[in-house]
Amino acid sequence: MAETILQLEGVTKRFKNKTAVNDVSFTVERGQITGFLGPNGAGKSTSLRMSLGILTPDSGRVSLFGKKPRTTGLDRVGFLPEERGLYRRMKVIDVIVFFARLKGVEPGEARRRGLKMLEEFELAHAAEQKVKELSKGMAQKVQIISTLIHQPEFIILDEPFSGLDPVNQKALERIVRAQAEAGRTLLFSTHVMEHAERLCDKIILIAHGNKIFDGTVEDALAEVPRRVLLETASEHDLLALLDAFGEIREEPAREEGTRAWSLDLAGRASAQDVLKACVDAGVKLTRFEPVRAHLHDAFVHLVETSGRPVAEVQ
Amino acid sequence: MRAIYLIARREYLSYVATWGFWLSLASVPMFMALGFGLPILIEQSQPTRYYVMVDETGGELEAAIADGLRQAALAIQEDALEAMQEMTGENPQLRAAMEQNMPDVDVEHGFVRVTDLPDTSLEALRPYLNETRFLSTPEGEQPLFAAIYLRRNGEAIEMDYWSTNLTNPGLRESIRRALRDFQRRERLVTAGVSPEVVDAVNALEPEIRELNPQRSSDSAEITMADRLPVFVAVGVAFGLWIIIFSVVNMLLTAMIEEKGNKVLEMMLSSSRHHEILTGKLLGVAAVSFTLLMVWGGISLGGGVAAQQAAAAADMPIGDILGAVLDPGLLLPALGYFVIGYFMYGAVFLAVGSLCDTLQDAQTLMSPIMLVMMVPLFLVMVAADSPDSPIVTFASWVPFWTPFIMLARLPQEPSQVEILTTTGLMIGTAILVIWGAGTLFRMGALNQANQETVKNWFRFGKKTATG
Repeated sequence: MAETILQLEGVTKRFKNKTAVNDVSFTVERGQITGFLGPNGAGKSTSLRMSLGILTPDSGRVSLFGKKPRTTGLDRVGFLPEERGLYRRMKVIDVIVFFARLKGVEPGEARRRGLKMLEEFELAHAAEQKVKELSKGMAQKVQIISTLIHQPEFIILDEPFSGLDPVNQKALERIVRAQAEAGRTLLFSTHVMEHAERLCDKIILIAHGNKIFDGTVEDALAEVPRRVLLETASEHDLLALLDAFGEIREEPAREEGTRAWSLDLAGRASAQDVLKACVDAGVKLTRFEPVRAHLHDAFVHLVETSGRPVAEVQ
Repeated sequence: MRAIYLIARREYLSYVATWGFWLSLASVPMFMALGFGLPILIEQSQPTRYYVMVDETGGELEAAIADGLRQAALAIQEDALEAMQEMTGENPQLRAAMEQNMPDVDVEHGFVRVTDLPDTSLEALRPYLNETRFLSTPEGEQPLFAAIYLRRNGEAIEMDYWSTNLTNPGLRESIRRALRDFQRRERLVTAGVSPEVVDAVNALEPEIRELNPQRSSDSAEITMADRLPVFVAVGVAFGLWIIIFSVVNMLLTAMIEEKGNKVLEMMLSSSRHHEILTGKLLGVAAVSFTLLMVWGGISLGGGVAAQQAAAAADMPIGDILGAVLDPGLLLPALGYFVIGYFMYGAVFLAVGSLCDTLQDAQTLMSPIMLVMMVPLFLVMVAADSPDSPIVTFASWVPFWTPFIMLARLPQEPSQVEILTTTGLMIGTAILVIWGAGTLFRMGALNQANQETVKNWFRFGKKTATG
């Protein structure tokens, strides 16, 4: 059984009259990439801050490496906050060494590692530059190096992709994968579902401070009704014909002389069964498209079925 | 401890690596040098000024002026000789050498009388005074600074002083004083008083002794050495205020900058709020100690050097240094500095953590600044009236205790008063630091801002309108 790195049990946090996180529980297991998903303002950053002991929960329990979050435990954690920043007047290598030393790395070793990582991130030339002289992308790389410099076992990234251009987003995805391959445990929050879908072993969905899903990406996708889109050029009434396969609705047609339908497959029904029924009935199909669900759809569906209002989701 | 040390170290290095720090460091000795050197430089760089004196009495007043000025110069020289004697002890050879080398007496330093103009009537001199004609001098062509006409009108003496310069009264005043003394002496002699008696009367001076009733008659006389601790304590209290005020402002601006840089959350993943707060306070405290050591060292060195100089012989430099380095003042000053610094520093850090810009901070700073300004004025009052009830009361206000109690120390307030005010001050400092830490924690994570603090003071308004 995998070791639990982080555990939140029934954690609640209120600010004034607003409940930011409500009775949330989840675990992060060693060696996994866990995605912490939800729209802006869902309570992701608050949960992560409580995970590190930066904020104290009003109720519930947080344990990091099996203990209450303490400074000593934090040496094993690398945290990239959502609001990123560095000491602008310091030299790049000095900033990296400073954060490494805060995490307990010896000065000489910190410098050696810093220079090596700068080389890996193609920033060796900027080592002696001041942070304020760097471009935004370069500064973000320095921030990531500062997060990873002490070779943490557990890496927490709060909205790591926000503010990055597509090229740097890809580069960051590669870094996340490389860290996972090196045996590190990762937890990252995002409101962009595509990243999580590509990277995560496990996802936790949160909306309005409430956890609405905790499982694998496949589990989440399985929650979404599988859908088949059909278009017919014949006069068959698909409402009657396919009713047994699930919930069918007529949609506005895309072309004149055709009719469009959308079928949400019920429990055991498959797209092949639907296709066979149409062929057997002599339906003249101009379109038959089983739709692959995305995490975005899963999130919207899960929020809808949880009875909570659907927030803006990208 | 590691985090506190690293944060303090980073803070310290971030300040000492700036030009601003070195400018601050240089500013005090620079201002001291300017304060002492500038007047001398101005005086030395002043061009020689030429004047014409016309004595319509045939030379009587001219001679009186020369004599009066000589007497005044001799009095100054005598003071210098006495000061030298006080410093070196009785030394007839040195005294004789100094008397021989006394400079020639001039009306006023930098003024030269012109005597070779053929026509000294006002009409002839007017072009020189108005700078349409110039005198040939060793320094080249120069205008005439003043034309002075002296005459008698019965017993009265009249002087017409023509000059386009409205601001430099040196020449006019020297001559006026000389003529006044001459006129008074002349009147007394006319009235039958012998010149010897007049001179003896002018030399009379009451002998005043200031005595302390708490001492025995042998040692009751109050000297400069007795007064010095009061002045030094007030000076040190001022210095303390200036240093605390300077460095806490550094904390405020650095905190706002750091919040703007959004670096705090990254720090919080490695250290706790109290470690960041303490590290910053210690880092800037180290900066202020560096300033203190350098400024103190320069002042000490300057004092010792000044002691060696004959020019400063009439200043009790040794006594001043002794009073500054007196452990009875130095140790409490250090203690008051540390507590005052932490108390105000924590408040300024908390304010900085609540604000995104200096403009935001100004709203919150205004009342704090008012609180900080009060001891500055009260310390001045304490110098004149250390037993004033207002000063005594103010020294019990914990925010003002570090400065006012320090200024009061030479007056030897009761032990109970010292201990109680110190206890109150330490208790308040602990409360303030705790409260500031809470605010800092909220501000650092944007859970509070300046509006939060403002809302605390709006209860009355809400009740009134609500």
